[in-house]
Amino acid sequence: MAVTPSSLNVEIPASAPARRHPKIDLRVVDPVRAAIRDGSVIGVRRTTLSGNDAVAKGALEVGARFFAGYPITPSSEILEYVAKHIFRCGGTYLQMEDEISSIAAAIGAALGGVKSFTATSGPGFSLKQENLGYACLTECPLVVVNVQRGGPSTGGPTDVGQSDVMQARWGTHGDHPVVVVAPYSVQECYEETIRAFNLSERYRIPVIVLTDAKISQMKEPVTLPAQDAIPIVNRAKPIGTQQGYEPFGLSPTGIPPLAGMGEGYRAHFTGLYHGRDGLPTRDPKMIEEQMLRIHAKLETPTATAEIRKTETYFIDDADVIVVAYGITARAAKDAVVQARREGLRAGLLRPVTLWPSDAEVLPEVLGRVRKVVVPELNLGQYITEIQRLAYESARRNQIVPPEIVPLNRVDMQLISPAQILQELRS
Amino acid sequence: MSIEHPVYLEDKLEQIRTSGRLHYRSKSLPTWCPGCGYYSMTEGVTWALNEIGTANEDVVVVSGIGCASRFPFFMETYGFHTLHGRTLPVATGIKLANENLTVIVVGGDGDGFAIGGGHIPHVARRNVDITYLLFDNGIYGLTKGQVSPTSALGFKTPTSPFQNQDEPLNPLAMLLAYGSSWVGQAYAGRPDHLAEMIRGAIKHRGFSYLHILSPCVTFDKTDRTYRRLDLEVRDLPDNHDSRDRLAAMSEASTTDRPALGVFYNEQRRTLGDALDAVVEKAGGVPRRLAVRQ
Repeated sequence: MAVTPSSLNVEIPASAPARRHPKIDLRVVDPVRAAIRDGSVIGVRRTTLSGNDAVAKGALEVGARFFAGYPITPSSEILEYVAKHIFRCGGTYLQMEDEISSIAAAIGAALGGVKSFTATSGPGFSLKQENLGYACLTECPLVVVNVQRGGPSTGGPTDVGQSDVMQARWGTHGDHPVVVVAPYSVQECYEETIRAFNLSERYRIPVIVLTDAKISQMKEPVTLPAQDAIPIVNRAKPIGTQQGYEPFGLSPTGIPPLAGMGEGYRAHFTGLYHGRDGLPTRDPKMIEEQMLRIHAKLETPTATAEIRKTETYFIDDADVIVVAYGITARAAKDAVVQARREGLRAGLLRPVTLWPSDAEVLPEVLGRVRKVVVPELNLGQYITEIQRLAYESARRNQIVPPEIVPLNRVDMQLISPAQILQELRS
Repeated sequence: MSIEHPVYLEDKLEQIRTSGRLHYRSKSLPTWCPGCGYYSMTEGVTWALNEIGTANEDVVVVSGIGCASRFPFFMETYGFHTLHGRTLPVATGIKLANENLTVIVVGGDGDGFAIGGGHIPHVARRNVDITYLLFDNGIYGLTKGQVSPTSALGFKTPTSPFQNQDEPLNPLAMLLAYGSSWVGQAYAGRPDHLAEMIRGAIKHRGFSYLHILSPCVTFDKTDRTYRRLDLEVRDLPDNHDSRDRLAAMSEASTTDRPALGVFYNEQRRTLGDALDAVVEKAGGVPRRLAVRQ
């Protein structure tokens, strides 16, 4: 539960500047939508898709050519879409014997040189965690789609939940970098899957696309760019001499180039701590160098600009805001509009990239609002990150942190706009 | 057996330097216990690769967790040290990413039949064109001597302090039943035969399973020893027909006198062939041309 000191009801000074955080450059964080908006895309495709189909379509159109999966509700339509379409693109699909082998095969193909992905839901995602850690340590470009349902355990297979926010971040053991994106519409399922692949290829990391049962099953009209207008990032390949190629070597970006197997640049991959040559090491200096590098590569200015993505909605003058992601953000948007009609200075912060959390926009906004409502379809997972950022920001700026109010449901029902509005009013 | 230490290994490397096999060996020296059968296997693999003439860049060695797990590091090829029990799906992914690669999977009885047991039937029935060298010493050597799925009944270990109560698996019979297209057995105490068998397994087009009997010289002083295996192993009868699955099954059933040789060998379409047929049905572009970026 949120800590709410009695001194919290401070008024936000009316003289607060309208916008203190930098405006997001849509061209950087969302090239697909930017291209559609600025009209630079000719021949957009308008169609109707389900969330699962949009994910699969986005993956194939950004160049994924290997998929291994195992049927699990509510993500099975991704397998079905891929099974039907990937061979026509020149790719390969396998329905594997279990969830573990699905991600293992995808890792094999990904390090073999082919853009690969797998898809699952909560229980399957749990089974994949050991391999996810392997992908983190071997810096394997990989996309894992997790269509969330209720949990723990089998929970509610056919209905909605946001139960894996923390599992997506901390599911595997050890300190590991991971990027998690959370689309909130079918359109975004397509766009964020493309972005997920591009991030995974650019930064050599597994990226998790976190959707949910509702978004995955519902159909919405979407506007897709022409195929040749889709921004496609492919992993950097080594150039020059093949002798002495270091798959985990130092480079200006911190991201070592990665060759496919059979291309002459021989490499070793291991889940053990390894040196720059990929061979196991117990040298403390080398272990530290590599462990810090795999985190630091996501923290360069270029990387953070590309990875972070937060939608701000009526935030400039807001004194009470909702922080919501995924399906819940749809209700939150509705609630904010209604609150504005009632004269409340309400706003919405919607992290599209859930992890790593937006260390720029979130603390800045959290540092100047009176109240924050965090609706989630779990018993309070992302709220802990919001609390951390808000209290940290308040401590640093010596201000009083906002009141942070959880709004949770775990009964397989969506949070309604009315519920959020009620919290905004009180 | 003489005392072995890195100096001995240097000598050993010097010996094979002239054989043309050294270019498959990396600078890392093996760290297995002196007398371990993995030395025979390493020799066998480098000999077989040299005989076949595979380029270093076309070989991927995949291992899981166990004493076999470090094998890739001793090889001057692509090395893929995966998670415990997950070698076969990873190898499947690698093979589909690039069909030109020679993929060799190594693992022990724990990695293969305990934690990774669920993958074997599927890689066998799909007939993925990879080679699986399974090193069976009936014990968990890396974790210092616990009971394994192929340990003999009554075998005493720290995790079966009174006696092993579980019937051991019959790996050869399992692999035959799973539909593996090449099944053979070799013994680490007969390195030349082992090398020949490894060559046969690698050359086989399809999934080849080579069961390698070996003692764990450190943690099993009583049950599966070189002395005992030397007496027990026999050659397959001269008239054994390796195309006859029932005959192979029958030979595999005599576990008290393990037979060495090729139990079963059939040519049938591989996963790659099968997927090519799927691509044709789907109206797609040929997979091997399009799959690489």
